Order: sequence, then structure tokens, then C-alpha cells
Amino acid sequence: MDFLSILKSTHPNLEISLNKYDLDSHGHGESYHPTSPPDAIIYPSSVEEIQDILRLCCREVYRDGDDNIPTVEIVSVIPYGAGTSLEGHLNFLLPNDDSVINNDDVVEIPSSLFESSFEESKQLKNKTKRVKIKRKGGISLDMSNFQSIGELTPGDVFIKVGAGVSRKTLNESLRHTGMQFMIDPGADATLGGMTATNASGTAAVKYHTMRENVLHLTAVLPPTKISSATSSNGSGSNPITVNCGSNSLKNSAGYQLPTLFTGSEGTLGVITDVTVKVFPIPSHVIAASCSFDDLHTAAEVVTMIRMMGVPVSRIELLDEMSIRAFNQSNKEELKPMEEKATLFLEFSGHSEASVMADLTAAQTICVNDYEGSNFVSAKDETTRNKIWEARHKLYYSSIALRGGGDDDEDGATSQTTIVTDICVPFSNFADIISATSKDLQDNGVFGTCFGHAGDGNFHCILPLKKNDTDEYREKVFRVIELMTERALSVGGTCTGEHGVGYGKKKYLEKMYGQSGVSLMQTVKRSIDPFNIMNPGKIIDVDCFSEADLPL
Amino acid sequence: MKKILVPVKRVIDYAQKIRVDPSKGAEGVQLKNVKMSMNPFCEIAVEEAIQLKEKTKAEVVAISVGPKQCTETIRTALAMGADRGIHVETKPDVRGDYINLQPWAIASLLKGIVEREDGVDLILLGKQSIDSDCGQTGPLLAGLLNAPQATFAAKIEAGDDGSFTVERETDAGTETIKLNSSVKPAVITCDLRLNTPRYPTMPNIMKAKKKKVETISLEDMVKELGLDLDEVLTPKNEVVEVYEPPPRKEGELVGSIDELLGKLKEKGLVA
Repeated sequence: MDFLSILKSTHPNLEISLNKYDLDSHGHGESYHPTSPPDAIIYPSSVEEIQDILRLCCREVYRDGDDNIPTVEIVSVIPYGAGTSLEGHLNFLLPNDDSVINNDDVVEIPSSLFESSFEESKQLKNKTKRVKIKRKGGISLDMSNFQSIGELTPGDVFIKVGAGVSRKTLNESLRHTGMQFMIDPGADATLGGMTATNASGTAAVKYHTMRENVLHLTAVLPPTKISSATSSNGSGSNPITVNCGSNSLKNSAGYQLPTLFTGSEGTLGVITDVTVKVFPIPSHVIAASCSFDDLHTAAEVVTMIRMMGVPVSRIELLDEMSIRAFNQSNKEELKPMEEKATLFLEFSGHSEASVMADLTAAQTICVNDYEGSNFVSAKDETTRNKIWEARHKLYYSSIALRGGGDDDEDGATSQTTIVTDICVPFSNFADIISATSKDLQDNGVFGTCFGHAGDGNFHCILPLKKNDTDEYREKVFRVIELMTERALSVGGTCTGEHGVGYGKKKYLEKMYGQSGVSLMQTVKRSIDPFNIMNPGKIIDVDCFSEADLPL
Repeated sequence: MKKILVPVKRVIDYAQKIRVDPSKGAEGVQLKNVKMSMNPFCEIAVEEAIQLKEKTKAEVVAISVGPKQCTETIRTALAMGADRGIHVETKPDVRGDYINLQPWAIASLLKGIVEREDGVDLILLGKQSIDSDCGQTGPLLAGLLNAPQATFAAKIEAGDDGSFTVERETDAGTETIKLNSSVKPAVITCDLRLNTPRYPTMPNIMKAKKKKVETISLEDMVKELGLDLDEVLTPKNEVVEVYEPPPRKEGELVGSIDELLGKLKEKGLVA
């Protein structure tokens, strides 16, 4: 019986989709990487179902005409949340496994790799078994049935939610508690996905990233043994579920397991629920913006605001091109914005006096110390949104820079647009963002640069068109290379937010060296020895390499 | 403007999946261990009342009819900015989702409460509740009070002369009507586009705990208002059957326009 048939017979109520459109949509996130669909989508509703599904992903199968030599069939798994990831996380890849896999050679592997009872395993020591090993496609594990939202106990600052709960759903359910989940990556991502990618966003300057906001999570680990052809129920080796972390704000007990899973991009297990911090809704909020003659100066201002210890709740920097893009896509507006590098700021707190003091301090730096112009601020929500409009609409107005209007069928779309991000120390931030902006101009590449400047993190939005020449595309990727190399050369990172997926794997060795990558491989191999979980992402591991096989 | 009344209903939270127990017949909708919240349209009404209060300094009174947990629903309105509340408490087994208490009973109670309050300028209600979806309480109340009314409000402007100019959303388009000031109170029901309800901050939630909520049993209120308890508790409409909608059938994929036409003809959908 094949994988799906077994699953359907043991779990008749389990929802499975083979619909072409569903498969296509589950084969990509919001990156430019073309879709690479799974063979099936499964919608589990419980941790037990996930355990049963994962157990089947590594099993021993006897097929006719195989001379009694079983095949070990390995099925890949990628957990799916909201599909908003940006570096090809959801694309199914055939990993660069060792040549041992996917050919018809018979190999000998330790018998201890097979599921067996404790008694059996003692006898199996030093024994081997002859098998063939094959990868048999992949499944998308859609977590949308994991919608539980716990009760927020009054006085506590954390809440437990199912991995499939989106952040806006969570905040809507919290709307009368006075507390909110504060991480804002823009997209309405799920808490499981946000944990897997260590998401952050504009609020990180005050509320940090998922790494600092996840207190606890539950995850189902991939199987570490090959399940046998005959048994239908798991033994002790059934994929285990782990309880990581604690509800306390500070925890020094043991290895920090939630941090291990945060940013693991689905390569270590299936996160089923997450307990995250929540914060009080601020009583007072003020938004502001200020223009500067050049990008470098604007970036220096941000560093100064941080060095002076002025609290900000958001601080975003948009380059000249970003403002131009906004003006172009906002033609109904009577008064276009000045096309200069612009800072967008937000201050929040519990008292009006303290928020006003923060605003005044920042204003002094912007205007008096760095000759910023057109400093405006507002307290009421409508005007605040108006001040920040260019920032809120940035993504779509950047894409619109290269068509996509009603008449332009070949214009750039969100599927053809590259969004990339790097993060560097403050002392290098101004230089690097300016250099990148200059690279775009010098190379004739259309794009906008903007940053979560308060963290030294900036992005480029680079819209591509269907009929762009290879030459142009090369220029775009060259600019991304240059910007990343600069970031790495100052000890920064190739990705502050979006993650590695498969597009940025190549930078890990430059960042961490051979030993760093090797340690990551060790972690991956010990948790997922058969490389079932999102293979080919973050790092490559050889499954059943010669090092693993017995002599 | 002096006083605005906002009746608020406690219903199953809009994000919850409704479960029907077929063995319970008309009372099949499960209410136990289900998250309850303020009806979303009532929330919009509360928000509008607060916005009007911020402009005119009127007093906002939140009212709810239901079991003891309705006090929490009233506290939500108080956290958003209402000044005080009135909770008409029913026995725990009395259902508000069209089984026991229905719009006629609620409207009769509200009419009495409006007169009891004295000096009410405006009653803001949600256009309908998401459990019974009747949309009748507002209009019935206006009828009982002989009040000018506007339903499905998408925009409300309070004139200095006490009038209300209301933009209504209808299927045919937007209609603007003016409720003149000479007849008080006015009744307006609120639609989705009217506003976006605020999320109260913790200090406001704390303040709400100290605001006054008058709790009075349904029996006592009925007596005080001179109504008949049986009249109130006997529903005018009887729920005959409650069932879950049948599961959606999977669509069929066809390979060509001809095939599509063939199928449509087969199913008698096209001549």
C-alpha cells in the first residue's frame, strides 16, 4: 500500500487534498522562486495525527520483484502556515542527498535504524540489513486546523496559541484585554510560521523579534527510526512530541530549546503551538516624519537617536526612490511628498508627558543637529496614518515603479519582485545603505531601499518584469550580492528577517565558517537523521553518507 | 445631547465554529464551553456612542439582557468609554439566541428602560445580532416609542440643533436622511462601515471596573415596568428545527467549454 492509502485507511477523517490549484499554492510563499508543489496536502487536526503522519515518512516497503530486499521510502514534509515566507521556504526541493539515495543500489545499513522493541534492539546491535533507499515525493502539512487560542489570565503577559493562528486573529481575540501581540512583519502570518522564520518587523526596535517573544513551544519531531512494513501502530520510537520552554519570563533551566526551533524554517520538526509574550496597548502614541537632503545623513540621525537613548516604538528610513515611487502611485494627492530620504518615527508610552519628551528629543536631533526639514507629528490616528502613508504603501508602490497597471500585462507583480534584507552594526549602517542605493543607480536597477533603521536592518525591493533581459536580471542579482558581501564583511548578516530558505544558503559558510556550518549539520542530523523536514533549506546534510554507514 | 443608550447583546463569538447537537432539537446550538463576546454590530454601536460622547459630552449607558455573564459584556462597553451600565439579569437557562428572548420582548423592555431613564436623546443599536440575525429590535423599539429611526447607518452626524443626519447603506446605494430634532429619542441601528471599534487600553479597563452597573432581575424589571412576565418570556416565533448546513459538495473539473455546457444542460441549469 502506498503512503496516502495507508493514511486514509488508518485516519479516514483526515483531510487530504490532491487538487492541482491547492498543490500549486502550497508550493510557494511570497518569494520570487517559482512554485514547486508538493504531491499532496494534509490537514492534521491533532498532535497525534502529525505523529502518525511523520512516522509514515520513513518506512520500509516490500515491493514485488524486489527479491525480498525492502526499500526504505522517505517522504519530505514542509509545514505550511499562511504562505507568506520570502526565501523559498515552502518550495519542495529534491535535496542533494548522497548518491546512496535514489538509485537502485543495495546498501547495508545498521539494523538499529529500524523500529524495534527494546529486546529486539539489543539483539540487533552490530547487525546490518540490506535495503534500497528512495525519496518518494513530499507532502505539505497545512496547519490551519490548529486554531486554539488560550485564555489570557489577568496579570499574565503571555498567551498560548495553535501554530495555525494568524497574528491578526490573535490580536482580534485579545481586543478587549488591553494586551496585544506586538510583532508586526506586515503580512498576516501564522504564529507557527513566524516562529519558524524568527519573524520581526517595524516594531522590533521596541519589542524585538520572535526569539525574544517565544516563551514556550510544542513540536513534533521527525522519526529517528525506519518504521517497519508490518506494524501499523507506533512503538516508543513513534515521533516524539517535545515540550520546549516555560511560561516564565526568565528561564535558565537547560538548553534553550525554543530558541533552537525559532528560525529553524521547518527543518527540525513541526511546531504545533507557541506561547508568546503580549504587551499592553500604549495609552499614548505620536507619529512623526522628517526629510533629509541625503540618505547617509538620515541614517546617521537614526544611530544618534539610538545612542542618545531616546525611546522610539518604530523608526523607518525610506530612500528618495521610495518617496518617488509613492508620489507616482498616489497621483490623486494634491501635494506630493518632497523627494528626499525620509525618516518615519513613532513614539508610544503610558504618559503623554513622556511621549512628548521622546518626540521633542528626537525632533531636536533631526532638525537642530542634522538640519532635517519638514518635521511633522500627530497624535490622532487618522493623521498618524496619513504621515506614515508612504511607508505603509511602500511595497506596492515599489512594484508599481515598473508597471503592473491596467495596460501593462507584463509589468512587475508581487510574484516577480525580489525583496531582500541584510542587517549590520550601526557604525556601518549609513555607509552600507548609501552604497547600496548608489549601486542601484549606477547599475540602472529599479528598486527602493528602506530600512528598520533602528535595528541596522534594511531591505531592497527590486521589481522584475517578465520580459526583462538576462543582462538586467544579472545586474539585479549582482546588486544583491554586493550588498550582502558588504554586510558580511562588517560582521553583519545576509538576512535580518526573511531567513535563509535556499536562496541564501551559500552565505552561511562565509558567516559562520566551516565549523559553524558543521555544527548546524550535527544538530540537524541528530534531530532529523533521514532529512525528512524541509530538506535542502538552510543547510545541506547528507543522509546515509559514507560516514554514517557501517564499515 | 444629554444621554445615549446602547443595548449590547452577548452572543457566541463570531470566530467560533457553531456546533449543533441534533438530539436537542430546536435547542441544538451548543452554548456550553463556547467563547462568548459582544455582538460585533453592538460593538460598532458602542464605538459610535463613544465618538459622539467625545464631541458632545453626552452620558453613555450600556444595557444588556441576559445571564450573569452579561455584566462582563457591559464592562467591555465601559472599558471602551461608556459611563455606566444596566444589566437585566435572566435565569441561566433563558436563551437570547431566538429560543426564549426575542426582539419583541427585548424591544418592550428597552422601551420601558428608555422611559425609566428619562432624557434619552438617542438609542444606538447594532443592525442585527449574529445569532438570530433578526434585525428587528431597533425598528420594533422605534415603533413602540414612536421614535424617528434610521437603520443600517454607515455615517452619523449629530447636528447642533439635536438632529441626526444619517447615511444608510442599502442594496440600491447610499441614502442620506435627516432625523429631525423635535421628536426624542431617535433610534439608529449601526452597520459595518460605520466605524472601527477601539481596543481599550489597560487603564481604561481598570477604570471600567469602578463604573456603576445596576443589576436588576428580569422579574423585578418586568414588574417595575408594568409588563407581563409571561408575555416577555413567551416567544412570538417558535423555532421548529435547527441543523447544520449540509457539507459542500466538491466541484467538478471540466475540460472544455463544450463539456461545461453539456453539464449545465444535464443539470437543467441551462435550456
